[in-house]
Amino acid sequence: MVKWFRQLDSILRGDATRLPSLSEGRIEIPAGGLSTVIVLLAVFYGLCMGSFNLLQGLEDRAHDTCMQIVASAVKLPLLFFLTLAVTLPSLYVFNALVGSRLSILSVLRLLVAAIGVILAVLASLGPIVVFFALSTPNYPFMILLNVAMCTVSGVLGLAFLLRTMHRLVLVQEALDGPEPAAPPAEAAPPQAPSGPSGALDQVGAFTSRKALRVFRIWTLVFALVGAQMSWVLRPFVGNPNMPFTWFRARESNFFLAVLRSLGQMFGL
Amino acid sequence: MLVWADDTLRARPWVVAQGVTKQRLAQLLMLLIVFGLLYGAVMGSFGGVFGGRFLQVVYSAAKVPLLLIATFALSLPSFFVVNTLFGLRDDWSRVVRALVATQAGLTIILASLAPFTVLWYASCNNYRAAILFNTAMFGIASIAAQHLLNRFYAPLIARNRRHRIMRQGWLVIYAFVGIQMGWVLRPFIGSPNSPTQFFRDEAWGNAYVKLVQIVVGLFGG
Repeated sequence: MVKWFRQLDSILRGDATRLPSLSEGRIEIPAGGLSTVIVLLAVFYGLCMGSFNLLQGLEDRAHDTCMQIVASAVKLPLLFFLTLAVTLPSLYVFNALVGSRLSILSVLRLLVAAIGVILAVLASLGPIVVFFALSTPNYPFMILLNVAMCTVSGVLGLAFLLRTMHRLVLVQEALDGPEPAAPPAEAAPPQAPSGPSGALDQVGAFTSRKALRVFRIWTLVFALVGAQMSWVLRPFVGNPNMPFTWFRARESNFFLAVLRSLGQMFGL
Repeated sequence: MLVWADDTLRARPWVVAQGVTKQRLAQLLMLLIVFGLLYGAVMGSFGGVFGGRFLQVVYSAAKVPLLLIATFALSLPSFFVVNTLFGLRDDWSRVVRALVATQAGLTIILASLAPFTVLWYASCNNYRAAILFNTAMFGIASIAAQHLLNRFYAPLIARNRRHRIMRQGWLVIYAFVGIQMGWVLRPFIGSPNSPTQFFRDEAWGNAYVKLVQIVVGLFGG
């Protein structure tokens, strides 16, 4: 267990993704052990999230509050792994189409590492969330606070992913010889790493830059899918005026709900 | 102890750079608690110090160090992870010392302002004015403490420029948690018309939501 946390620590410090360890485009990150740590951190943040209402809950709602804490702790790890499951296939396919050398295992390891970074940041924000959850009776505020915390950790984690990807590109270019990088202005639109062009372009520097672009678009997709997945899996915080449910009915979407919460918070 | 306080205010090298970290942290923490208690006690003396009001003095005294330490403890984990991510882990012990020293400095500055508070209390018995005056004192102390933080951080920034961003990040997290913590720990002064208590019954609430509601109310929203 301690060993796995050390591995997460070495990822956070950047030791795991230094240029020498990335040589040959391989990533030496043990995905299995790291996943356990990820689950633990996610459960911890889920507990923090669900603890809203714990102190000001009425007697007859005590059961609902406890169930909400359990449900949030179960759902938060699910949120990350489901998001990964939804986005991984397309990432791998497009990555392969543009001719990147990353194997599916390497892609998976890279993503697990990025999720590890996200959850490390998220879990470290947990104490702040608990403090606000216990001292605030305002439901929309808690939702927005959690959205903000997830955004901060998501941005940091995905920035880590892109930096690591960039390093991989550098390593690959070094391996492929001193070829000048692709010109920045290309004819192809950025969101279309289509099959034929990928199959035609086997030049190392060129294709690896394209892989980087695929990852850039993917981070956006990951953020959108994650946000909507959190909407599907809601409630995480637990509305004090509604009975406990594991899931809610299908309606609206994440972004509309955030806007509505903003309005509700100030009673507008 | 006064020598330590003086050294902290002058940002002498021992405070952040020399000696055993644990020992120095203990020294700084002691400064923080002693001077925090001092200002808190003065702040709580608004309703008088005798009889039933004495308890309020004790409560207020305990709350100032509590406010700072609890805010610090809640903000530290995320700051640790973010510092690690930005590759600044090697400087971590210095960073913690700089942050604790800044808070110790804040209480020292506050304590130095305590005589003004006493004079104010002696000359004016309006509760709202007392709150405003204390807010002003905290404001002055925070601005001065920020100056101190800049001085503690200067050698760190010289080592790695990213510390500058970290410093700003710290101020954001700390203020965000600290404002709510101050709200939860009310009353600090103790209204002379209400009974002495550690927490207010209606203390649970959200400082930010209240603030926006007040502002909206001001503009006739």
